Amino acid sequence: MKIITKSEKGTIMQGKKFAARLKGGEVILLVGDLGAGKTTFVKGVAVGFDLRKNITSPTFVIMKIYKISKHLKIKNLIHIDTYRGLDINDLENIGALEYFGRDDCVCFVEWGAGLEDYLRKGKIRMKKIKFNDLDENTREIIIT
Amino acid sequence: MIILGIETSCDETAASIVRADNGCFQVVSNVVASQVKTHAKYGGVVPEVAARLHIQKILPIIESALENAKVKIENVDCIAVCAGPGLMSSLLIGVETAKTLAMVLHKPLIRTNHIEGHLYSVFAGKNDAEQKIRFPAIALVVSGGHSQIILMKDFLKYKLIGETRDDAAGEAFDKAAKIMDLGYPGGPAISNEADKLDGRTSEFNIKLPRPMLNSDNFNFSFSGLKTAVLYKWRDLKLSLNKKQLERARRELAVEFQNAVVECLVSKTMRAAQANKAKTIVLGGGVSANKALRESLESAVAEELPRAKLLTPLMEMTGDNAAMIAIAGYFHAKGKDFIVPEELTADPNWELVE
Repeated sequence: MKIITKSEKGTIMQGKKFAARLKGGEVILLVGDLGAGKTTFVKGVAVGFDLRKNITSPTFVIMKIYKISKHLKIKNLIHIDTYRGLDINDLENIGALEYFGRDDCVCFVEWGAGLEDYLRKGKIRMKKIKFNDLDENTREIIIT
Repeated sequence: MIILGIETSCDETAASIVRADNGCFQVVSNVVASQVKTHAKYGGVVPEVAARLHIQKILPIIESALENAKVKIENVDCIAVCAGPGLMSSLLIGVETAKTLAMVLHKPLIRTNHIEGHLYSVFAGKNDAEQKIRFPAIALVVSGGHSQIILMKDFLKYKLIGETRDDAAGEAFDKAAKIMDLGYPGGPAISNEADKLDGRTSEFNIKLPRPMLNSDNFNFSFSGLKTAVLYKWRDLKLSLNKKQLERARRELAVEFQNAVVECLVSKTMRAAQANKAKTIVLGGGVSANKALRESLESAVAEELPRAKLLTPLMEMTGDNAAMIAIAGYFHAKGKDFIVPEELTADPNWELVE
């Protein structure tokens, strides 16, 4: 599926819509350059889960965990950032892998393209979202 | 009171001995082993690498802190350790070391918040008179992982009143520097590049946004600024020759730094006025930025002439353990100790009242 958004608000709306389609246990890989809208999209996902918390960049702490209370099944939104070239071993070391595939969690991994093989082998349900910045405000979002 | 401080929340392994007498602090030793060179090739801290280096260094660093201070570990009155926020795998090393020492030596143990440490870093290495703080105080703590405005009604009484909606200020510097091919860490890289601009006249008339500058709160947003740098730099690269580009990059660095500083200073001053602050405190790695210091200094002098601005010494701007020991003193004074078995690192520990 391919979507074009024309503003930050638009990207947030798409994140919100995307959240409604999640069932729990998915790992979503977010791919795209600096400033392409990855964190903004996750902000929208948080809105979709009625999470009243501000989503900030996880670059520094690598992983942030937000508790979800308004969903029957999904209880945790896990926001991970592998911007600094972290690999699967690094993620294991910080305990991130424990959340992958858990029914009460959805995990969003920024710069996560490198995890595809691992997830496929582990038969963990995965979605990939590619962000292309067409110009300063316009984004193409491709969900596969 | 002799306090041993330990700090390992990110990529600095640090230990310090601080002597506290009647609320005045003497930093007797302050040892920091920075891993910044190791992480530079990744463009940021890699947790696994950081943890491994912390393990190698923590005991020698504590030993040299004691040695430099000529203090025997038996004579330390209490041990203060940073338990968060930070990287889990890094925090663990300091926390577990402190717990073990406290258990074996039967010393009282104090858990200190990293942000709290930065607040008290303004006391480190200063004389007694300079260590006076009047409340309420407004503190701006800015670093690679944090951008917060904190209201301090008293020692240990904190209220978070503003923070970044997306990227931290230091992170914005790191990412903008990466976009502009200026290397890591981004703060000094951009500041140095900005300094290279001879004269402040603009040849290319580069303008960047000041996100949320006029919003009716004390929050920041730096993500959009990063995107603006990305597009500006891309345009400049397409339209300019090599020589022109060199100058344009300096102008872009100046403009980027101005934009960040303007947002930080304006929100801090607004918070200070709204809360009738008698003291303004600046702390965290980004507080080493000269432009930020100068701009905040003149804003305080102009808008709140009766308020005092406290800034840390340059060597105390980055992560260090002296600030952890000083913050630890205030907890020790209130007998706020923790049983070693109960102490755990908390990577998301928020400083609250």
